[in-house]
Amino acid sequence: MTIWKEDEKTMLESVLQLIVSGIAMGFIYALVGIEYTLVWNSTGLLNFSHDKFIMLSAYIFAGTFVIRMGLPPAIGVIASLLVMFLFGVLVAVGIFNPLRSMASPIFAVMGTVVLGRILSEMVRLIWGPIPFTLPNYLTGTYQVGNIVIGRVNIWIIVISSLLVAALQIFFKTTKTGKAMRCVQQNKKAATLMGIDVSRNIVFTIVLSSLVCTVIGMLVIPLFTVDTAMANMIGLKGFSSGVIGGFGYLPGVIAGGVFLGVLENFSTLVLPAVYKDCVGFVLMIIFLLVRPSGILGHRKNLR
Amino acid sequence: MKKVKIALMALVLVLLIAFPLFDSNLYHQQLMNQVFVNIIVVMGLNFITGLTGQMNLGTAGIFALGAYGSALMCTKLGTPVWLGFPIAIVIGFLIGRGLGYPSLRVKGVYLSLTTIGFSEVVRLILTNAIDFTGGSQGVQNIPFLNLFGFEFNTPFKIYYLYFALTIIMAIAAARIVSSKWGRVFKAIRDNSDAVEACGIDVANLKILAFTMAAVYGCIGGFLYTHMMGYINPTAFNQDLSVNYLVMMMIGGIGSVAGNVLGAVMVTLLPEILRFMQNYYWLIFSIITLIFAVFLPYGIVSLFKKSERQERHFDIFHSIKKAREIWGGRIAK
Amino acid sequence: MKTILRTENVVKNFSGLVAVRDLSFEMAERNIHALIGPNGSGKTTTINMITGAFPVTSGRIFYGDTEISGMPTYQIARLGIGRTFQNLKLFHSMTVMENLMVGGHQMMPAGIFRFLVDPAKSRQEEKQVEEKAKQVLDFIGMYDLKDEKVSSLPYGRQKMTELGRALMMDPKLLFLDEPAAGLNPSERVEFVNIMLKTFDLGIDLFLIEHNMDVVMNICSRITVLNFGAKIAEGTPDEIKNNEEVIKAYLGNRYQAEKA
Repeated sequence: MTIWKEDEKTMLESVLQLIVSGIAMGFIYALVGIEYTLVWNSTGLLNFSHDKFIMLSAYIFAGTFVIRMGLPPAIGVIASLLVMFLFGVLVAVGIFNPLRSMASPIFAVMGTVVLGRILSEMVRLIWGPIPFTLPNYLTGTYQVGNIVIGRVNIWIIVISSLLVAALQIFFKTTKTGKAMRCVQQNKKAATLMGIDVSRNIVFTIVLSSLVCTVIGMLVIPLFTVDTAMANMIGLKGFSSGVIGGFGYLPGVIAGGVFLGVLENFSTLVLPAVYKDCVGFVLMIIFLLVRPSGILGHRKNLR
Repeated sequence: MKKVKIALMALVLVLLIAFPLFDSNLYHQQLMNQVFVNIIVVMGLNFITGLTGQMNLGTAGIFALGAYGSALMCTKLGTPVWLGFPIAIVIGFLIGRGLGYPSLRVKGVYLSLTTIGFSEVVRLILTNAIDFTGGSQGVQNIPFLNLFGFEFNTPFKIYYLYFALTIIMAIAAARIVSSKWGRVFKAIRDNSDAVEACGIDVANLKILAFTMAAVYGCIGGFLYTHMMGYINPTAFNQDLSVNYLVMMMIGGIGSVAGNVLGAVMVTLLPEILRFMQNYYWLIFSIITLIFAVFLPYGIVSLFKKSERQERHFDIFHSIKKAREIWGGRIAK
Repeated sequence: MKTILRTENVVKNFSGLVAVRDLSFEMAERNIHALIGPNGSGKTTTINMITGAFPVTSGRIFYGDTEISGMPTYQIARLGIGRTFQNLKLFHSMTVMENLMVGGHQMMPAGIFRFLVDPAKSRQEEKQVEEKAKQVLDFIGMYDLKDEKVSSLPYGRQKMTELGRALMMDPKLLFLDEPAAGLNPSERVEFVNIMLKTFDLGIDLFLIEHNMDVVMNICSRITVLNFGAKIAEGTPDEIKNNEEVIKAYLGNRYQAEKA
């Protein structure tokens, strides 16, 4: 009898642990979702190089600032954000703006895909092909009762929530944020209202690249740093968009968290290596059954 | 003009037939066989992405299933090798329907998302279902193709078989492109609402275009398998999908001649640009990006003088455009 | 007189914003029916609902005796409802001829497999559609321009191409969204003449138009919308003298000019 009780307890604990780490992973997907949805809404382009942005920022933070230059992580964070800010401006002005005016969106999509390849090649040439990790960064665990929670999970949940809240405040209260929302809803009307759409798009892409930087720095303890590190989270960000409602920010957040938790639970019944298939299968199911997503928002279905 | 075209094509044909007779280097012949495989895959991709304008980022997954389907049938079940061909067509058909139906039935960019996911999932399964697929070790000792007791076991023999197949598939593709299908695919790319208003079931046609892409891709995979004799999942990654897109774009989207040109160039270029070593991919990618911006309709658009709309390669035009794109927007 | 088109209490909401409210009207066969009203009064939305581009929020639409609300666009088009668009929707990478031939795509039923194995049959189909396209080009007076890219044509010709494309599918009922907008006076006269010729072929016309000369001269019946609701319906004479229509749309100047 006691043994059975013991089992039940551990079962409950492991479920709780799965939920917490699932929520943490879900928040990462949600952030990825936010980052590309911002760009999609304002430019009508899907940034297929977004996972490379994340990878690049991880390399800049871990590879250059912390390991090579030996800066304390806090300063490294600020320095990386600054570098990625400049990078965002460069990419927006130099690549996204010309792509936006292409004859067919196909060329623009091709452009972002090729940009991703250029980024990973540059990273390979600059930092070398050998994957590495960042020791003693956000490692360790917290213990609450019998439940063990990774420190990184807590950090992810806290930082992501703060970031989502900050973005919300930014969009609702600042002038730039409001203008961005206008552009996302209707570019033509925004132009007529005297909003500079081009500049707005640059802002959006820079913002998106900053969100990528935060993601990149948060996921370092979860993966080894290599050129393909963000491929999966990039894809799952797309899945969570479809699951939650494509092009709709609250939907993407809901979809991300939903996917993160469900994916973790799938390990109870599936071999762990197939965990990554869950997002894809869910995406197909949602497209078949409910293409407007969990939150049922039918904007941007074009 | 038309006579020149025919004469030119005849010349190329003769040169291609003569090629392995004069160049007995096995590596070169193998490379040419790879070119043929790539031509077939790119011609397929052209239907959905080049003509219909729907991004397919999952060519690697399609190609992999075509390759593995035949390889596993031969090595595990011992079925005759030629059976892989109809099997590849069936697999292509199933992928086309199974992936096309959910993602193309609703308007949107969903095809690019599902195909990119599909490709990753295929690779994941091929790597991890070790008992079934051999995992990252891949499948070894795949038999060569044989027809009526004649085994295509050297690059030289394979060359002529694949050459003939490529010509047949190219003729089929060219006919489709210049028929009502090609026309309506292009119309969907230009304006799908208007196509719908003409009483045409757009979703169905998109699924058809994608199915043809998948069939061509799987046939390519089948041919690849029996040419290499050994496959493993690492080859079928995202880079491969992007490569096929690059081939299509560099040659010229929407045109079979462009597909052939692009496949030839992108397959052979690494050999020519060997001296760049580490920087090869970077430089090649940058060239591609420049292509995407300045010559979006590819190399074939250089030769189409009559089509003013698509002729982007005119130095003054390019400069003007560059000004417009970079200068104008920033100034605003 | 038979009714060809009937809407029953049709409503369209765009996330809370009511674009069309409780619209019911009938269109009789062999008629040129016009839908007029100020900008933003829901005219194009109405056409979009009838042709299936937008789903209705509530209400029903009938074409003859068939209920068409809820059907996908292409099926509605196959029943014999053609349309042109307010902001041209042409296939810009193609020639005039090719644009028209896409309009005739439904005349070619052979499937892809049949096409690949039986070249003769597909050539014959193609020939038929080409013949048809040539007839239509003759009809709209654009035969000489058949091999021009549509994007290089002047606006008026592009509009005509769109009409030609709609005619390729032998519609019974044709919706024209602002056919005269953006045309110069001589182009407008030409377009009106072709519209009348089209009507004589036995095709009923339903148009949205702002140009009152066009509407008052060729239409037999007019429905007036304001803020998404029907405010009047009748013959041109009745509409001209309707107080509410004058107040909402035509304006006092029109009244004065007329007097």
